[in-house]
Amino acid sequence: MRSLRLLAATSLAAVSMALPMNTAEVLAQGQSSDPEYTLTFAWDRWVDHDEMTEMMELMAETWPEFLTLSSMGKSYGGRDLWVMTINNPDTGPVMSKAGMFIEANIHGNEIQGGEICLYTIWYLMEYYDRNPEIKRLVDEKVFYIAPSVNPDGRDYFLDETGSGARTGHVPVDSDGDGLFDEDGPDDLDGDGTIEQIRKYVPGEGTHRLHPDDPRILEAVAPWEKGDWVLLGSEGLDNDGDGRVNEDPPGGYDPNRNYGADWQPQYIQGGSMDYPFRLPESRATENFLAAHPNIAGSQSYHNTGGMILRPPGAAWYGDFPASDIRVYDEIGENGERILPWYNYIILWRGLYTVHGGSIDWFSDGHGAVSYSNELWNGGKYFQSPLLSEQQAENPRSMIYGQRSRFFFDDFLEFGENFNDWEPFDHPEYGEVEMGGWGKFFGRINPRFMSMEAFHRNMAFTLYHADEMPIMAMGDTRVESMGNGLYKVQVDITNKRLIPSITARAMNHRVVRPDLLTVDGTVEIVAAGWVADRNRPGKTQMIDQEDLNRIMIRSGHPGRTTKTIEYLVRGTGNMEVTYSSVKGGTASTTVRVR
Amino acid sequence: MRICGPKAMLGLAAFLGMAWINPIPCEGQTTSYLDHDGLTRELRSLVNSSDLAMMESLGTTIEGRNIWVVTVGDPEGPPMGQRPGVLVAGNLEGDHLAGSHLALEAIRYLIQNADEAGVQSVLETKVFYFFPRLNPDGAEAMFGPVTWNRRTNGHDRDDDNDGRMGEDGPEDLNGDGAITMMRVADPEGPYMIDPDNPRVMKVADATKGEAGGYKIYWEGTDNDGDGFINEDGPGGVDLNRNFQHEYPYWQSDAGKYMVSEVESRAIMDFALAHKNIAAVLTFGATDNLVTPPASGGTLAGARVLDLAAFADGSNEGVHDVGVFSSRGGGFGGFRGFGGRGGGGGGWLRGAQPGADNDPNSGSRPSTTVSSADLVYFQAASEAYKEITGIDYVPVHRTPEGAFFQFGYFQFGVPSFSTPGWGLPGTGTPAGASGQRGPQADSPQEVGGRVRTPPGGNAAGGMRPGGRGGMVQQVARGRGGAGAAAGSGSDGELLRRLEAAGVEAFADWTAFQHPDLGEVEIGGFLPYVTHNPPADQLAELGAQHGEFLVKLGGMLPQVRIADTEVTAHGGGLFTVEVQVENTGFFPTSLQHGVRSRSVGPTLLQLQVGADAIMTGADKTVSLGVLDGSGTRESVTWVIRGQEGGRVEVKLISAKSGHDTATITLR
Repeated sequence: MRSLRLLAATSLAAVSMALPMNTAEVLAQGQSSDPEYTLTFAWDRWVDHDEMTEMMELMAETWPEFLTLSSMGKSYGGRDLWVMTINNPDTGPVMSKAGMFIEANIHGNEIQGGEICLYTIWYLMEYYDRNPEIKRLVDEKVFYIAPSVNPDGRDYFLDETGSGARTGHVPVDSDGDGLFDEDGPDDLDGDGTIEQIRKYVPGEGTHRLHPDDPRILEAVAPWEKGDWVLLGSEGLDNDGDGRVNEDPPGGYDPNRNYGADWQPQYIQGGSMDYPFRLPESRATENFLAAHPNIAGSQSYHNTGGMILRPPGAAWYGDFPASDIRVYDEIGENGERILPWYNYIILWRGLYTVHGGSIDWFSDGHGAVSYSNELWNGGKYFQSPLLSEQQAENPRSMIYGQRSRFFFDDFLEFGENFNDWEPFDHPEYGEVEMGGWGKFFGRINPRFMSMEAFHRNMAFTLYHADEMPIMAMGDTRVESMGNGLYKVQVDITNKRLIPSITARAMNHRVVRPDLLTVDGTVEIVAAGWVADRNRPGKTQMIDQEDLNRIMIRSGHPGRTTKTIEYLVRGTGNMEVTYSSVKGGTASTTVRVR
Repeated sequence: MRICGPKAMLGLAAFLGMAWINPIPCEGQTTSYLDHDGLTRELRSLVNSSDLAMMESLGTTIEGRNIWVVTVGDPEGPPMGQRPGVLVAGNLEGDHLAGSHLALEAIRYLIQNADEAGVQSVLETKVFYFFPRLNPDGAEAMFGPVTWNRRTNGHDRDDDNDGRMGEDGPEDLNGDGAITMMRVADPEGPYMIDPDNPRVMKVADATKGEAGGYKIYWEGTDNDGDGFINEDGPGGVDLNRNFQHEYPYWQSDAGKYMVSEVESRAIMDFALAHKNIAAVLTFGATDNLVTPPASGGTLAGARVLDLAAFADGSNEGVHDVGVFSSRGGGFGGFRGFGGRGGGGGGWLRGAQPGADNDPNSGSRPSTTVSSADLVYFQAASEAYKEITGIDYVPVHRTPEGAFFQFGYFQFGVPSFSTPGWGLPGTGTPAGASGQRGPQADSPQEVGGRVRTPPGGNAAGGMRPGGRGGMVQQVARGRGGAGAAAGSGSDGELLRRLEAAGVEAFADWTAFQHPDLGEVEIGGFLPYVTHNPPADQLAELGAQHGEFLVKLGGMLPQVRIADTEVTAHGGGLFTVEVQVENTGFFPTSLQHGVRSRSVGPTLLQLQVGADAIMTGADKTVSLGVLDGSGTRESVTWVIRGQEGGRVEVKLISAKSGHDTATITLR
């Protein structure tokens, strides 16, 4: 697991001496008609925390002018919570641009978002010089990419048995006996997998073998008898309390430990005792708090093929309508970018989540936040013909449970199913152990990774592209006589997402936008032009300090608004619009 | 050893005329409020004087002060972590220094009376964890040159969300050393002088032919020129708004999120690490001891100072400044619900099978005390009133995000709060003159400030007729429509305070304000409505020490009461073990069960699991055992050696531990 299978590894010495080659150099050097990449990673494999760290370090060394690798903090197990910052300093410091926060793998077994994060960093850097749209995006925005916010869970999944790996690894006393994590599953046969146990009990069992495939156990009706019983998962009574596997590692849900609509455990299982109690969620929160420019977020999960938006709970209340319009536009385009994915409200289409990260990013930080549930079982059999067979033809080899075996047998050559093998169990005697390996079901087959990674990245880049960008437009000065002037300035947000969401305004979690004036003129009054095509009075700005106008409601998306100052005196008037998330824009008007 | 400090009768006598004499002074008792250094010295000398107490710091505040916890219990007994415990916390609200002193004096009481039989047995079997001053940074404000009711900690917050931190605090304009209120004659003002008591203000009722004529502010100036006075002072977070139950989201003084503060984390992590804590007592601005939860499980409504509520109302519109409609004209426009709700009407497409979940599904957190638990709150209340004699609590606020509410609703134990002092007078019970119920149509109080219902404030912008008439100023309001409703209890409170000899009110005196012109400055003085006179502290503290002994005696306490072995021959034995709860409280309240926060009471037979033939599991989780001697028995049939010894372990999260050894014969 330690050796990176990087084709680029050997050529790296050259790379690190000469720094990355630009496209022309690559082309001049290359023989191939297709792009030669500076770093060539193998995307059809899953990487643990150490490998991920190496890849991140390698990329940061390769593109040092854009990439900064830092740690948000340590996991409970002492692993770094890496975050890669992508910023072009030539187009401004990080805080001058909207930031996109991308996190993945908060559930330890939902790993592939981590690789999507790595792919995204790599893709943005490789294509910066190749593709003007990628260059523009990188120049206009900042990316904060955290491939694993649960590295303990990730390594437990990839390097150990990975049984029950959704949780993090802060010890929890799941059985209330005062001991912590003292009775987890045990890999009795040493094959690296926690398997199911079945025992042959002729005429006394609850299950029978599928007539066409003895690997499948079918439950019999309550009035029937089968020949097999299921005895749970591989393990022992480690603490001698008479119970098996009742206090496994962790035992909570790290994605219920955030600050919006957090609920105690009897309402929301696994929430821990208060928000941000976990070192990982706390480190993430501290990072977001230190980066108020974050205006969008993506949290990769699996599985189901969904683009989820908050809220996680109905009774927490839906967004104001102006925010919903923004979520809908991005989400509906997401469905077009991601076939088989559906854009849905988390609570309504999946299940209720209290205290999840996307609610907090939206409600506590004013980011427009989505969670993609990666991978959809529909992708095993992608044609309408096969989907129909799978769902409706009981005689088909891809109907019901058999479809998984068919796919595994014919597409992955049996890699994922551990055949039932006899085992002499210390407590149950002669049994058989076997079943599906940990990669099957939630995680896409490796050979299908490229498309999954790229399409999800594409959606997230589109989302990032719609984060606000403030700009100044035309200015107009008109003399009103008696030393008074009317000064108009057009102010634009060039993208879809408002500079402050309505939710953020209501929660007061984002500093209001500020419209400031520097110069020698005296501002007598100010107002918003209601309609430039229809003469009439402006909407008066009733604030005491007109040199520092507060705009709590922010600037809506893809909109130009015109401010009109009534001023006395002449001279230069520098008008600056400062938005925490949409950047700062200035223009100077000469009043005379 | 004599019991120092008065008993309840003496306390009552004190109220009736001997208030400023401490009848039986005890060694070392303090007679003035102490700053952090002074309190630390007192605690340290107490702890050093006795083997029964130890003191440690759980970290330091933003301003560098230690967060002390003092553990009191007789080390001769079982390990502290195996005893039922009481967590006592004071001074979460920065302006409630009484809480620190009640805790300090209660510690003193326990140490000095440790030889008394009742006290001794409690100290040998129970443990007390005291947090005398959870908010030392806030408390320190009492000792500055100018005092004001600072409730918050030292974590500066941008209260008005204008991009500037702590830029508009109060000023002592008239130089009397205290921040009080300003009343300004203004035809737009909704308030009038109460004809029954010209010091008190009330909302004019237009339907009764009354006209207002006054606006009310806190004493100070508009430092940042935004049209509001004192809307963003120094500090921070009100710790008793920072906890998980009914947390008041998105309010500046509640903190950025639950348990966001170093102080609140300190006490929370401590409580979570001490699962043996079986009851909580906090000293604070909410009462559920003098008036226990009503039959519906609700607490008495708030009784806040109207005058403070009116002054708070002057800043109510601060968050509406700069809210513009994107369509021009009109106010707001962002609050609407609806839209297509996601997915272009297609939100069902591809959802999980069966999804279109019911918006009302799922259980919701409890917000009222479970009916089965009420009796225990009532019992504690009766004991409390009998010992302290308190029947009227001066001020009383609703408890969103308060620690003691966490204690019951999420930690699952009997949990109490009391201001810790009372006022004499003919007895309307606590809270009775305020609105009843948390949702009463009354000012929604937020951390010492009162939020009026939306659009309901009428105190108005600072400059009468200034930039009036503007769209977004509607919520700032102008005279007349819907002023903050008053509870009308200021006059009663003032009468009682003065009857008790407390100098509580600064008379209104004329002052030339730099911006407002002619004003009058006066009103309730800081601290006096929240804290008793200092010379009552020792007496009150001793009473609360006595109450804690009583409370300690009520905690659940399990023991193995009886064991019986029947030999069947051939190495087969029936073992029966009886467990008893000798305390008064059950091993878990009903809500402790619902909230799954009270650990189980486990009985474990120390034999190999394969030695058990029939009967109970090796480890049995007992059900809830009521108190007062309730028993439950457990039976195993085991195989063993004649004459062999088997240990039985009783492990209860909150009700103690016990072991017994059984001989098989």
